[in-house]
Amino acid sequence: MTGRFFDLTNGKASRRTILKGLAAGAGLAAAPGFVRYAQAQSSAPMRIGFQAHRTGIGAAYGRWYERTTAAAVKAINAAGGINGRPIEVVIEDDGTDAARGAEVVAKLATQHKVDIVYGTLFSNVVVGSAPTAGELKIPYYVVSEGYHVASGKLNRYVFQPGITDVRAQVTSVAPWIAANAGKKITMIFPDYAFGYDHRDYLPPALQKAGAEVVAKIAIPPTESSFTKYFPQIPSDTDAIYHVMVGPAVLTFVKELGDFYGSSGPKLFGFIDSLEAVDINSPGLEYLDGSHFWEGSPRYAQADDTEAQKAYRAAVDIDDNGAAVADAKDVSTAAHMFGCWETLYVIKKAMEDAGYKGPEDRAKLVEATEALTEFAEGPEHPQGKKVFNGKIHQCFGTQNISKLEGGKLKVVHKTAIEDGMYEPEADYTKQSL
Amino acid sequence: MSKRFSQRQTRWAAFTVAASACSVLLLPAQALAHASDRGHVLLLPTNYYLAGGAFAVAASFLVLSLMSPEALRRLWRKRLVLFRLPDTARVAVSLLSFAVFVALIAAGFWGSRDPLSNPLPLTIWTLLWTGMTLAQGMFGNLWSWLNPWYGPWRLLARLIGSEDERMRLPSWLGYWLAFLFFFGFAWFELVYPAPDDPSKLAMVAGGYWLFSFVLMLVFGYDVWSSRGEFLSIFFAMLARFSLLDRDEAGRLSLCWPGAKLLDATSLPFSGGAFLLLALSSVSFDGLMRTFFWFGLNGINPLELPGRTAMIGMGSLGLVATFFLLALLFGVSILAGRWLAGGRLPFTQIAGLLVWSIVPIALAYHIAHYLTDVLVNGQYALVALSDPFALGWDLFGTAHMTVTAGIAAGADAAWWLWNIQAVLIVGGHILAVLVAHVTASRLAPVTSQAALLQIPLTMLMVAYTLFGLWLLATPTAG
Repeated sequence: MTGRFFDLTNGKASRRTILKGLAAGAGLAAAPGFVRYAQAQSSAPMRIGFQAHRTGIGAAYGRWYERTTAAAVKAINAAGGINGRPIEVVIEDDGTDAARGAEVVAKLATQHKVDIVYGTLFSNVVVGSAPTAGELKIPYYVVSEGYHVASGKLNRYVFQPGITDVRAQVTSVAPWIAANAGKKITMIFPDYAFGYDHRDYLPPALQKAGAEVVAKIAIPPTESSFTKYFPQIPSDTDAIYHVMVGPAVLTFVKELGDFYGSSGPKLFGFIDSLEAVDINSPGLEYLDGSHFWEGSPRYAQADDTEAQKAYRAAVDIDDNGAAVADAKDVSTAAHMFGCWETLYVIKKAMEDAGYKGPEDRAKLVEATEALTEFAEGPEHPQGKKVFNGKIHQCFGTQNISKLEGGKLKVVHKTAIEDGMYEPEADYTKQSL
Repeated sequence: MSKRFSQRQTRWAAFTVAASACSVLLLPAQALAHASDRGHVLLLPTNYYLAGGAFAVAASFLVLSLMSPEALRRLWRKRLVLFRLPDTARVAVSLLSFAVFVALIAAGFWGSRDPLSNPLPLTIWTLLWTGMTLAQGMFGNLWSWLNPWYGPWRLLARLIGSEDERMRLPSWLGYWLAFLFFFGFAWFELVYPAPDDPSKLAMVAGGYWLFSFVLMLVFGYDVWSSRGEFLSIFFAMLARFSLLDRDEAGRLSLCWPGAKLLDATSLPFSGGAFLLLALSSVSFDGLMRTFFWFGLNGINPLELPGRTAMIGMGSLGLVATFFLLALLFGVSILAGRWLAGGRLPFTQIAGLLVWSIVPIALAYHIAHYLTDVLVNGQYALVALSDPFALGWDLFGTAHMTVTAGIAAGADAAWWLWNIQAVLIVGGHILAVLVAHVTASRLAPVTSQAALLQIPLTMLMVAYTLFGLWLLATPTAG
C-alpha cells in the first residue's frame, strides 16, 4: 500500500497524503499478519522517525515543523528519494515532554523500526532523548538550536547539522551591535538557562568588538509586569539587548515604550520571542525601527535567491511569512528551515554511506561526521553552512533585520566565521 | 533561577519525576516559549471585566431577590410544544454510533500515529468531550440516543431474551462509582502524560466501553447508565440546562435555558459531589496552566519539563481543587442554612442548590475549550475523512486546509476573550437565577429564601472572578 503514495510519477500526492500515508504504514506494520514491503528492499522506503511536538508547550512550533518536514519529504521523493528509495516518515508525538521523548525514540527504533530519528526542537526533549538514542545506537538528528549538541554533553549518535546553535548566534551578532547600535549595552533577559546563554556569551563577544555590557537585568520567569525594572537601565545606555520570552513579551514591549516615550536607547532583540506572532500586533509599536536576529528571514526580501523563493513556495508561506491559505497563521520561519536543511543533510549522509538499513547506522554516523560544508542552494536555502564533524554542529550566517514599515528587512548577514568558537568536544573519539 | 524556585523544585522532586527537568537546567536552552495568544489578552483591560462581571452577578442576585419567585417560575416554565418525536430509531442510532466507535478504536490502533491526524483523539477530546457537552447543554440529552451502549445492549438483551438486571446495584453506592470513574477520566485527560496517544487512548476508551457494557448487562442498562457510567450521568445533568425538552409522551418542546432544573429532585451527597467534581476538574484544567500554579510548584513556566515531571503536582492539584470547591460549597450551604433559621436539613438544601452548579460548569466548559474546538475541530474533520490514513476522502474534507489562524492574533484574542467573558458571567447569572427559584422551593418565605442564598451567591461572585482570572492570567502549555 505504501507504493500507492509514492508513485513518483504522480505529482498529485498532497503534502498530507504523504505524511499520513507514511504514518499509516507504521501502524499497519505493527498489526498482526501484516507483511512489510512486498517490494524488494532496494525499493523499500527509508523510514525516518519524526519526534514531533504535536501537543504540549511546543505545539505551535511543532505544527510548522511538521509542515516543513512534509514539504521537504515531498520534494526529496519527487526527485527520486534517497538512493532511489522514497522517504517514509513516522510521526510520534512527544508532548514536548522530556520523559516521553525518550520513550518515543525507543518506540520509533524498536517498534516502528525506523532507520533514524529526526526533528526534535525543545532542548529538554533533546537532552531527555539523547541517552536513549545513544543506547540504541540510532542516529538522532535534532533541529533544536540549543548548544547542548556542540557542548559535548550528549553522545556520538546526536547531530545538529541543519540549524546553528544559540552560542554561535549570540556570538555572531556582537560585532554588528558594537559597530551599529552603540558601545554601551544593557541586557534584559529572563532569569533562567536561556537568559544565561545570552548573559554569558554576549559580553565577551561584545568586548572583543570594542563594546561593553553596562548592566545585566535578570527578570524572574513568572513576572508579568516590567516597569519596576526599567529604572535599573543606566542612563548612558546606547542600546538595550532584550531576549524576553513567553506570553508577557507584548506587555514588556508596551511598558518599555510607555517608559521611554518617543526617545530611549536603540533596541536589539531575538525574534524567538515573537516567532509565530504577527509583528504588527497591538502593543509592539515601540519595536518599530529596532533590530532583530533572525535565523531565516520571516518576510520575503527583495534580493531573495531562487532557492529561497522555491523553499518559501514549497512550505506554503506568503511574503509576510504566514500560511498562504491563512494569513493569520504566522510561521516559525526563523527556525523551521532547519527541518528542510536537516533532511537534505540526512539524504547526503545516507547516500555517502551507501546506507541500506539499520546495520549501516555506524557507517551513517561516520558519513555524517565526514561532512564539512553545505553549499547554498535548493537544499540549503538559508545559506551556506560549515559543519564540524567533531562537535556534530553546523555553523552558518545569521540575519540582522530592521523592523520598518511593519516588515522585517534584512540589513546585515553575518559571516560564518563570526559565530565560530573554539570546540569544546570531540564526539568522534567515542566508540560506535 | 531564584532561591525560592530552587527550594520549591527540591521539595517537589520527592513527588515528581523531575530528574529530566533538572538536568535540562544545567545545559543551555533556547527561547521557545513564544508569545502565545494569551499575550494579546494580557494587554486587554481584563481587570475591568473582572470587576464588571462580579458586579453583574451580585446585582442580578439583588434584582432577583426583589422579584416574586412564583412569577419567575411561571414565566420560566412556559414552553412551546414543537412536535412529537418517537424514539423508534434510538436503537438504530446507537448501533450506528457503536459502529463508528469501533472504527475509531481500530483507527486508534492502526491509523496514523500523529494525534492531529488520527480521528480517535480528535473525536474523543474535541468532538465528544467539548462538542457533545455543548450540544447537550443546547439541545438536550442527545447522548441517550448517541451513546454506543444502548443499541448493543438492546440487541444482546433480545438475543438472550431478557433485559432484566442480574444483580442489584446497592443503593448506598449512590453515584460514588460514577464519581470515581469521572475522577479517573479527568486524571487521564489532565495529568496522564499521553492522553492524545492514539493507541493508548484506544486501549483506555475501548476498555472502558467493554467494562461499562458488562456492568450494564449485570446491573441493567438504566441503572448503570444513570448511576455508574459517568459520561451518561454528566451529559444527562448538563442536558437539564438545554433549550429543548422531550417529555414522557415524546413531545418535543422549546423551553427556557435551565427550565428543567426547576423540577429537579434533591441529589444525594454523592450526586452533588459528582457535579462539583465536574466543575472543579475543568477549573483545574485552567488553573494548572497558569504561571501562578507553576510558580506555586517551583516550575519555570517558560521552560516546562513536560507532563511526566508534573504527575505528582497535577494529581494533588486535581484532588485539592475538588476538596476546596466542595468545602466552599458546603460552608456556604451551612452558612445559608444558619442565616435562614437552621430548620431545614443540610442534605436537602445542598442536594437541591447544587443544581445551580450546572450552568456554571457548562459555561466554564465551553469558554475553556473554545479555541480547542475552533482549531482541533478542523483537524477532526480532516482526520474523519481518512480515518486509517489510507488516502480515503469519505466526506470530501481530507485535504481541507486547517486554518489555525482562526484563533491567533490580537483580533481573535479580543473576540475570544469577550465571548468567554460573556459565557462565564452569563453562566453565573443563570446559576443565581436557578439558586433563587430553588431556594424558594425550600423556604417559601421570601426573606428566608434570600438569606439562604446569600453565602452561595457570594461564592458564585468569587467564582466569577476566578473564572475570568483563569482566562486572563499568563499561562503556558
